Amino acid sequence: MASKVGRVKSLSRRSFLKFVGGASLVGVTLNLTGCGKPITPDKAIGGNGWMPTQYNAPGNWPTSVRGRVPIDPENPAIVRDDQKCILCGQCIEVCEKIQSVFGNYELPIKKEFVCVNCGQCIQWCPSGAISERDDVNKVFKALADPNVTVVVQTAPATRIGLGEEFGMPVGTNVQGKQVAALRKLGFDVVFDTNFTADLTIMEEGTELVKRVTGELHHPIPQMTSCCPGWVKFVEYFYPELIPNLSSAKSPQQMEGALIKTYFAEKKEVDPKKIFSVAIMPCTAKKFECQRPEMNSASKELNDSKVSPDVDVVLTTRELARMIKRSGIDFASLPEEEYDKLMGTGTGAGVIFGTTGGVMEAAVRSAYYLITGQQPPAALWNLTPVRGMQGVKEAAVNIPGVGDVKVAVISGLANARKVMDQMKAGHAPWAFMEIMACPGGCEYGGGQPRASSPPSDEDRNRRAASLYNIDAKAKLRNSHDNPEIKQIYADFLTAPMSEKAEELLHTHYVSRADDFIPKKSEENKLY
Amino acid sequence: MAKGVLVDIPKCIGCESCSVACKLWNELEWDEQEKNKTAIDRAKEPNNGLWPEEWTSINRYDLEKDGESVARYVKAQCMHCEDPACVSSCFSKAFQKLPEGPVIYDQSLCVGCRYCMMACPFDVLRYEWKKAIPGVRKCQMCATRVANNQETACTSVCPTGAIIFGDRDQLLAEAKKRIKENGYVDRVFGEKEAGGTSWLYISDTPFEQMRFRTDVTTKPLPSYTEGYMKATPFVGVGWAAILAGLYVFNNKGKEPLD
Amino acid sequence: MELVTTVVSRAGAKMSSVRWKFRMTPMRWVFTGIAAAAIAVILVRFVLGLGATTNLNDQWPWGLWISFDVLLGVALAGGGYGTALIVYVLRRDKFYPIARSAMLTSLLGYIVVVLGLLIEVGQWFNFWRPYVSWGHASVLFEVFWCISCYTVIQILEFCEVGTEKVFKGAHKYLKKAMPVMLIIGITLPTLHQSSLGQLFYLMVGKVNPLWWTAFLPVFFLLSSFFVGAGMIVIESTLAGKALNHKVEIPVLRGLVKISAGAMILYLMLKITDMVVRGTFANAFAFDLPSIMFLSELFFGVIIPIIIAFSSLSSTRKGLIWFGILTVSGVIMNRFDVLFTGMGKYLNQYGGSYVPAVSEFIVSLGLVSIACLAYLFLAENFNIMGNHESEHADDITIKDGKYASTAK
Repeated sequence: MASKVGRVKSLSRRSFLKFVGGASLVGVTLNLTGCGKPITPDKAIGGNGWMPTQYNAPGNWPTSVRGRVPIDPENPAIVRDDQKCILCGQCIEVCEKIQSVFGNYELPIKKEFVCVNCGQCIQWCPSGAISERDDVNKVFKALADPNVTVVVQTAPATRIGLGEEFGMPVGTNVQGKQVAALRKLGFDVVFDTNFTADLTIMEEGTELVKRVTGELHHPIPQMTSCCPGWVKFVEYFYPELIPNLSSAKSPQQMEGALIKTYFAEKKEVDPKKIFSVAIMPCTAKKFECQRPEMNSASKELNDSKVSPDVDVVLTTRELARMIKRSGIDFASLPEEEYDKLMGTGTGAGVIFGTTGGVMEAAVRSAYYLITGQQPPAALWNLTPVRGMQGVKEAAVNIPGVGDVKVAVISGLANARKVMDQMKAGHAPWAFMEIMACPGGCEYGGGQPRASSPPSDEDRNRRAASLYNIDAKAKLRNSHDNPEIKQIYADFLTAPMSEKAEELLHTHYVSRADDFIPKKSEENKLY
Repeated sequence: MAKGVLVDIPKCIGCESCSVACKLWNELEWDEQEKNKTAIDRAKEPNNGLWPEEWTSINRYDLEKDGESVARYVKAQCMHCEDPACVSSCFSKAFQKLPEGPVIYDQSLCVGCRYCMMACPFDVLRYEWKKAIPGVRKCQMCATRVANNQETACTSVCPTGAIIFGDRDQLLAEAKKRIKENGYVDRVFGEKEAGGTSWLYISDTPFEQMRFRTDVTTKPLPSYTEGYMKATPFVGVGWAAILAGLYVFNNKGKEPLD
Repeated sequence: MELVTTVVSRAGAKMSSVRWKFRMTPMRWVFTGIAAAAIAVILVRFVLGLGATTNLNDQWPWGLWISFDVLLGVALAGGGYGTALIVYVLRRDKFYPIARSAMLTSLLGYIVVVLGLLIEVGQWFNFWRPYVSWGHASVLFEVFWCISCYTVIQILEFCEVGTEKVFKGAHKYLKKAMPVMLIIGITLPTLHQSSLGQLFYLMVGKVNPLWWTAFLPVFFLLSSFFVGAGMIVIESTLAGKALNHKVEIPVLRGLVKISAGAMILYLMLKITDMVVRGTFANAFAFDLPSIMFLSELFFGVIIPIIIAFSSLSSTRKGLIWFGILTVSGVIMNRFDVLFTGMGKYLNQYGGSYVPAVSEFIVSLGLVSIACLAYLFLAENFNIMGNHESEHADDITIKDGKYASTAK
């Protein structure tokens, strides 16, 4: 090897250097001519301005994109599929402006999201991102268990909503088909919440009379407590008005408590093996049935193994899903009757499903409770409390008492205004009906989603259907319900008896500590 | 003017509009598993809720404040350093800091060495491990929007104003004002951290309890290697010259080796 | 060489005078097996990605491959430039017998590193980007350029050896270019060995203060230099067994002493660094990092120094121990900087990384490939000093345990 050195020319070193220099030059040139030039924003990953498919073309944000309400993943009633959310802001709109929940607290939030579970955001969500928490499988599971007696109750408003899920006109009354469908699904006993609506009137009416006469040391006006969204709203924002709330439970919870006590006793069913389902037009009911106070049956029977009074609440939509999933041809179902014992309701009970209905029913029975006489026909059509206005007032002349002033409110923003007036000392009413959802239960968060955004037109149609049922009903006063008479005779003794208090009445908790209250309107942070 | 975003942590209500907006604008895919995670889950996971298809996340921290247990929601995403470590660490210049503020990434230049991920002082870079041809993923601060004088997607949808977009200088002043007014922790996270970042955070609860890297250096990260890299060519040439000298000296009059 | 089953094959039909041979021993079969498994894993990696073949994650974007292949591989291969420096530049001619084999190890090491990197990076087809898109602020940029250029230089350097046997016409040119190549070939690795340390300097606050220091580049450079001797000792021992060629003890001893000199400098700098930064408390906290740090210094530096400057280094056993300890010490150091050094930070929110079996297979496979290549080259080219390249062949002929094709 060494011997070959002599022959090598000095060329190689230079050529090597040339090679290295050349390579560097090529690199520098490439660097300068493009490959190394600065990245421009359009080269960055992502950011192509893709829009939700409904806008159909890439582009900029439409001006209406403005976020959404917070929903706790643990929310018992409402869930959201982020994938469907288009941030249109409709939920904020309804929650803040119509229900006056969102934004009615100071930031920072403390621990939980302030939510009354009313589900109006579901109705307004245009992309179906927000929906009820689906409990259908729990019910299917219970239905499949032969050892369990599955008892179901249906709220007044579901019968005029469910048909829409099967293509029927808005407001179609499908009461009989609904019962048939429930039987076909395998529910063992089908009861009507209208029955406990009537019972509520008896309890709440008695309570009202006692308040007015001073027998009960609770403030007037008495406020209804059948709407769990409204109740939670009071607990959050007006804890000082909790004494004004009627202590009567909502019809759902009364029915639930009675199913596991009265029904169990009468039909000799083990309360531990009763699975109590409620079909409701409402999402807040899912929250209500989980409230710790709502296990009266367990307390009454002194048996901790008895599950809560209502085990599962299904919305009207969920029931429709169950029917569809089971392949039942809803339209061709025969009309069937509710089971006896707690399946009979009056016209007064059915109008619970719309704003003003509770008031109208209460007035009819209050007249009876005070005067001992049947109400005049005029009280069967109490027009001042009907219709979709947010706040309605009426004065009802009851012999011996005179003009009784009442107020009917639907929509929590309306309620907030009235509550603020009450706090300021303006409360000329004896009795107030307040429903969280505009229009009442018939357009509750659990009702079928109309193809158009929520409107009074649809609300009126549904309400008209309920009033129509009432008008055609044989019995139009709660106190006339034979099953009501029977239950007081056989089981409860009398309205507000000790047993009735135990099973049909409840108490409320202040939730004012869950958030920082709004300081003032001017101090609005956002 | 360099843009920035101010995150007022106490004002966040955890609605996660921002993370949805990010998905929509950047056309990020939805993953069933990630979708079903809650803000609490995300705060506890090593990835802090950030994944290749999740460029931003809202994480919930349950804390004690004035003897009361409170929840705070913290938005996580790239901090967009003023002088970013990822940019300086990238040997193929796939990262760049735009004068408007965003730190952007061009996958076509990326070799995939992941030095940026090691270097990132806030550990926000994510890699597409599941892909055969993976890239780095992170918030681009909606570079095309910002360059177009628009605000970022996330800030445009925040319903409470917890995240606001603006000139960084003005936001910094606003942040200090809010700290004074609301009795927040006296620190704007991002003012000096890692030499300053485009994203600024203020909070009424201690940052260290919310997974902020409070002990991060305040010097710009690139300054740690700047001098070294500048000296390298000279050291290299000098060293080569010394070697050449030694070679010539030691080989003088000797038979060369093979 | 009792167990030798020899396969003698003919290749390169154009040059019928050239003989290529490769004897398959059981050990070589094992190497081949591992290499085959590794190639299978590598194929999976290219089809399914890194997630399918590694346990790397967003907390641990760097794992076994990068630390084993690059940080460690490069360090261990670094012996080549040190030997080149000692032999060719400083003309310590007594070390000439080991020069070629050290440089061959280095070359193979670098090729393995480059291959390992191609597997390790996500967009391997973009490997050329840094040549044109200059991220010149990055330490990795320097490492990239130096490693790639140095690999080319080493290949050219090896061509000088290779052309003794094939393409003989090019030999004289290469021979003439050798001085330049040698000088570049020493400059580049010194630059990038230190840069590999500097890589970690950017990870401020993430690396345990025991390892994170401004001296990182110096430590990496020095350790890559002194590990060279350890590698040569081990390599010459192993190769000596496999190829029946032994390097004389005085040669190795001299090398070991030079290496130990560098170790003393390293140790002094480490201590100075600890004094300056006040990390003695960390070093003697006797938690995991402290134990790793101390054992790395004690077993990997202090004991080798003692061996080198005592009579122990005049025995083959002593030398082998020096080699094993030094190499283990540097392996430990490189792993410590990444795994022990960053473990606490990267795992603080529940991150974790344990290399997958497939990662080990690939790393071992690459080493196996390098070993096989080394053995092949050493058998076919003049690597082991100025012996005849057919020398191993002659011995086995004497043993008469195989059938050889005639010349």
